[in-house]
Amino acid sequence: MQEENKEQKKVSAQYDPEQWKVGPKGFIALIVAILFFSGILVNFPDMKWLSAFDFTTLTGKFGAIKATGKATFVGSGGAGARGGFLFALSLVPSVMFALGMIEVLEHYGAIKAAQKCLTPFLKPLLGIPGLTGLALITDLQSTDAGAVLTKGLYDDGLITKKDLVIMGAWQYSGAGMIANYFMIGSALFANLTCALLIPFALIFIFKFVGAIYVRIMLNLFYKGDFQDEQ
Amino acid sequence: MSNNGQSKHTTNNPFDIFIIGARKGFNIAVNNLVPNILMAYAVSEVLRILGVMKLVGEIFGPMMFIFGLPGEAVTVLLTAWLSSSAAVGLAASMFNNGILEPRHLTILMPAFFLLGAQLQYMGRLLGVADVPKRYWPLLMSASLLNALCAMLIMNWFFA
Repeated sequence: MQEENKEQKKVSAQYDPEQWKVGPKGFIALIVAILFFSGILVNFPDMKWLSAFDFTTLTGKFGAIKATGKATFVGSGGAGARGGFLFALSLVPSVMFALGMIEVLEHYGAIKAAQKCLTPFLKPLLGIPGLTGLALITDLQSTDAGAVLTKGLYDDGLITKKDLVIMGAWQYSGAGMIANYFMIGSALFANLTCALLIPFALIFIFKFVGAIYVRIMLNLFYKGDFQDEQ
Repeated sequence: MSNNGQSKHTTNNPFDIFIIGARKGFNIAVNNLVPNILMAYAVSEVLRILGVMKLVGEIFGPMMFIFGLPGEAVTVLLTAWLSSSAAVGLAASMFNNGILEPRHLTILMPAFFLLGAQLQYMGRLLGVADVPKRYWPLLMSASLLNALCAMLIMNWFFA
């Protein structure tokens, strides 16, 4: 009997009229879906722009391998989702190789060494204590982990609110730069006209520039906010 | 990559460690890079067909000239604010369409990351670290300043 009741409840939940309410948005979405997938929108020669909302047009085409012996499987002239997919696929090996190497270098202590090098600069440049070095270096690899460590420092009372804002500035611009640069940026590495490490070094330097700018602004315009702290 | 800046692998064999990293790279490439670039290519196709690229190029042409970039590059910069990978994908697509040249990609490169994904990182970084909201606009202005200065330097000295 109980089981029957349960069954009934299940069925009535499935047919809950609240769940099946459709607003005007739903019908508009349905019309858009039908138009998008129907292929009607390419049939108006006078209004070529309509094809920008056509499924087949946006699916695009794979690139053609014209120069045999020179062209890779990506080909040339690819467009839309298909063109993007093959291009993205061509990046997978470099991303895998870069992260593999970074993992090995990290294992042998490259990150710890970087932290040691960075610490002496923190107090004179940014006015924040050396113990923030670990959180900052961590941010270079993982934005989320850096954020958690930073919060931990503030919660433990090891840094002031002003330190927190300056650290936030340093981390925010170019967050997760090692991981992002080698994972995402590698898409464009082959086309750079300068050494690979120049943009990378510039991002790192500008992290400091941005944080110093914020430090100056805090001292000039937000002085009152931090008077209680010391 | 470890979360505390120190590696804790069960193995000491560099080949095994390399494999761990490469596997992470594969997952990131398949789960982040491929979907993002696919979307960027589709969006750039929409913009191209609608003629938005051309229009934006004409409007922002003079401003982008300061950085040695064509006007269309502004779409890449605006995208970077939302997502670095989408911006890189868009730039790659514009490069393949002949809108951007290698020189332009080089100038844009640091800006992708200095300006990158600010919208996401508001939640993931500033929100998590509990940086008071009152200072967020200041931090954003710092990022924008960083990106603009970096593009100038790339244009003058390295591209």
